[in-house]
Order: sequence, then C-alpha cells, then structure tokens
Amino acid sequence: MIEVEGLTKRFVDKDVVDDVSFFVPEGEVLGFLGPNGAGKTTTMRMITGFLTATSGRVRVAGLEVERNPLAVRARIGYLPENVALYPEMRVDEYLRYRAAVEGVPRAEIRERVDSVSERCMVGDVRRQLAGTLSKGYRQRVGLAGALIHRPPVLILDEPTVGLDPRQIVKIRELITELGRDHTVILSTHILPEVEQVCRRVLIIDDGKIVADGTPDQLRSGLTGTAELKVQLEAPEAEARAGLEALPAASNVRSDGNGRFHVTVESSADLRREVFNLAVRKGWVLLELAQTMPSLEDIFLRLTTRDAAEQEAQNEEVAHA
Amino acid sequence: MRKLLALVNRELLAYFSSPLAYVVLTAFLFINGYVFYLIVAYLNDPRTQAMAPLKLIFGGTIFFWLFLLFVVPVITMRLLAEERRTGTLEVLLTSPVSEGQVVIAKFLASLVFYLFLWAPTLVYVAILASHAKIDYGPVVSGYLGIALLGTMFLSIGLLTSALVRNQIIAAILAFAVLVVVFSLGLVENLVTGAVAKGILGYMNLWNTMDDFARGIVDTRHVVYPASLAGLFLFLATKALEASKGR
Repeated sequence: MIEVEGLTKRFVDKDVVDDVSFFVPEGEVLGFLGPNGAGKTTTMRMITGFLTATSGRVRVAGLEVERNPLAVRARIGYLPENVALYPEMRVDEYLRYRAAVEGVPRAEIRERVDSVSERCMVGDVRRQLAGTLSKGYRQRVGLAGALIHRPPVLILDEPTVGLDPRQIVKIRELITELGRDHTVILSTHILPEVEQVCRRVLIIDDGKIVADGTPDQLRSGLTGTAELKVQLEAPEAEARAGLEALPAASNVRSDGNGRFHVTVESSADLRREVFNLAVRKGWVLLELAQTMPSLEDIFLRLTTRDAAEQEAQNEEVAHA
Repeated sequence: MRKLLALVNRELLAYFSSPLAYVVLTAFLFINGYVFYLIVAYLNDPRTQAMAPLKLIFGGTIFFWLFLLFVVPVITMRLLAEERRTGTLEVLLTSPVSEGQVVIAKFLASLVFYLFLWAPTLVYVAILASHAKIDYGPVVSGYLGIALLGTMFLSIGLLTSALVRNQIIAAILAFAVLVVVFSLGLVENLVTGAVAKGILGYMNLWNTMDDFARGIVDTRHVVYPASLAGLFLFLATKALEASKGR
C-alpha cells in the first residue's frame, strides 16, 4: 500500500532522512519510533507530499506522490504533529469545510460529520470555536478531520500527545479499530503505545532505519539477550555450575537463597533445560521465569550512542 | 469547483470574523467620507470650474492612492503567511487541492472583501444623483478601474504573503512593491526619451485611473493590470510549490 524507496531529504548540508526504504502492506499498522529529531516527521511529510524528497520515491496505492500529488492526497488522512485548526471556525463548520475540501459528496457531508464526531469523541464541543479548545480536543478534532473522507491510508504523527490518560486509551482503541480496515503509519515515542497498537515497528535514528520487525521479533532477534530468573533449593556451587553449563547461558549471578540471574542469548528459551536439570539432580524448583528485553531497552540500545564512543569521536574531531 | 468554493467561503469567514476587517472598513469609510465632503465643498465654491465629482473620487486625489497602497497589504498580509505560521498550511496542502486552487481561492476572497470595502461608496453616487443629473457611464467604468487595480494590487500582496511566515513582514514587502509599481508610471514625467516615456506611460496608473474615471475603457488599461495580476498569482503558486522543498 505504501512503498518508500531510497527516500532522502537534505536540508542545507545535513541528511535529515537518509536513504530510507520500507513497505507497508494493506491493512498493516506500522509504528514509527525514534527519538526527537530522528526524521519521523520529515519522512511522514514526504509521504503526504507536504515536503518534496531530495531523492527517492514514495508510492501510495501504486501512485507516485511526485506525479499524482492530488490523487495520493485524496487517499491519505493526515494528522500532523502540531494540530492546527482555524481558530475562528466552530468545530462543526471546520469538519464540514474539511469534508468539502476533501471532496466528500454534498449529500453525505452531514452524516460524515456526525459519524466522525462521534468516533473521535468531539460531540460535546461541536458548537465551540476551535480557538477555544483544549489541546486534547484539538487533537481529536484534527483526527476527525483526517478521517472525514474515509481514506484508505492514515498517517498519524504523534496522535496521543497532549491527551489525558483516559483519552489516550480511547484514541488507542480507535486506532486499533481503524487498523482493521485502514493502512496506518503511526509515529510516537511512547513505547507501550507501539506494543498495544502496532503489528510492526520501524525504529529510525539520525535519519536511518535501525530496526524493522514485529515487537516480538525486535525483542528476540535483534538485540541478543534475555534474562532468566531461577530460584532453586540446591547447593549453591553445584547449582551455579549446572546453570553455567547450560547452552546459551552466560554471566550467572547469585544473590543468595538459591536465587540466580542468568543472561541468555535471546533466541533460546532455557526454561525447559533448567527444569530438566533440576529434575535430574533432584533439586526443588521454586521459581523460574525468562523475561524478554523490553522494547524500551531495544529502543534505547539502538538509538543511544555509547557515551564513551561519543567521547572518543569528539576527541578525534578535536585533534583533527 | 466545489472545493474552490469551500476555500473561498472559509477565507471570507476568516475576514469577517477578524476585528481587522472592521477596523479597515471603518477607517476606509471615514477617510472616504471626509474626501467626499472636501470634494463637494470644493466644487460648491463658485470660483472653481465645473467638474464631475466622481472623477475626483476615483483616483483624482492622492487619498485614493494612499488608501490603496496602505490597505491592500493589510488585506492580503494574513492570507498565506498566517497559515504557514500556525501550521494550518500543512493540512491545507495535504488535502486534494492544488497549490493553484489555493492561491486562486485566497485571491478571490480578498477581491470580494476589497469590493465589499468599496460598496458603501455607492451611497455617494446616490447622494449626487438626488441633487444633480449624473452620467452613469463613467461611474461604471470608474468602478471597473477600481476592480482592476485591486486585482493587480491584491495579487502582489498575495505573493509577498506566500513568501514569508510573518504577516507584518508580508505587509511591508507588499507595500514596498506596490510603491515601486505605482511610482514607476509617475516617473513618466521625469524622463525625456520617447521610448522610455512611452513604456512608462503605459505603466502610469494615475493616468489609467483618470481615463477610467472619465469613462474611457482603453484595452491597454485593462491588459496591463490584468496581465500583471496573472503573473503575480502565478509566482505566488510557484512560491507555494517551492516551499515544499525546504
């Protein structure tokens, strides 16, 4: 549905987005993760055609953005990062205006405005001037506007920023629901949001894609280690030796009482081995859990450069 | 077409819900009323030679030009600069409307507002008509001249508003360009070369308006402002398209 190929955006002399390629099949909800300034918004703006790419191509529903800008725009519902409404318009007026501009047939406008108002929970402010709305309401009115023409593709730039926790839950539910019959790209830096809403995650840092996969794949495949927690009724040294001998286990730490923490190469699930080991040796197994690394860990690991590494780089620059 | 209409409607709503519109309208009526009074009082003096009063109102005095040069930038400054500053431009330009449509819609809305400003001056026509017999030909051509000049000046203002994100800077830029465009024609009297005089004479807006006020509709006077308006609207569209590259 959305094809991005070698997309690059250069501002002055910096590549804000650097050779980014990805594909979003129809009906997928893609989470676009990255720290501030990583190039999320710039990428989304190039997909919607608000910015032109320095090089590379974007195709939406088979149509190239550069060549068919209007046809592509008609297929996209876009919620920008800073939702701006016209302050002098009432919410109702604004939605009717958006419907007309997006080409909704005149006869359907009233019904569409009603249905998006309800869906986005803005029914109680429909007579209010947009300039007097709180951030949360503005956000939802913006989302209602983006949905008014029933676009097959939704591009949402940090849709839950500025909402209170209850509204966040509602909006996430709405996005999940929309994901059933829409192709969605959602940018955020709230990690639980991605885990809840998205089937696939793309992590971008410094203009480049650093990870691409389902939340589970990212947790297991990409970053190496999981943590195994064991509590055994067994002689300390013997238990330690037994655990260390397990395949894929490294760095066994004990904190007394037979409690062990084992670092595991994440592709392996060691619980079965630990259980068998305990049975063979006749130990009592009191606790056994293997935790996957959180997406947060992965995100931080991928997007934070080692402080020491950074230091070394600075040194080099200083000497050069 | 329906999209264009929606855009124009929204723009008009913005005009008429801002205090600026009423300030401009009030100031305009005040100044025009004063000028009308001066002209009528002047013509009532038995020592002055008989003249058509409307000819003086339509471009015959410096007030007319001062008003156009000052007020047109105020009318147009908001159009695109404000959308860019607040970020509504992002939603507008990702809607299925072309940059050209956006520019045309903004221009039409500003033209409607501009003509709305002039509409109350029809009262002067009515007042004069109730006291004397007036020739309606020059009245019609006078208003045509006002509309044409407005078209040209508004398109300049729209272009400067497309270029910057600060309304005040847009207004000052527009004012500067308008002063140049207006005074170019007046330079006619300061040059002696026949060719230069001919070219500058073609651009002399004061004479253009004078002819319209006398009832003369010269195609040259129609083509010049209309083609310049077309050029500036084209440039405004290009400026809007180019802003996507940065």
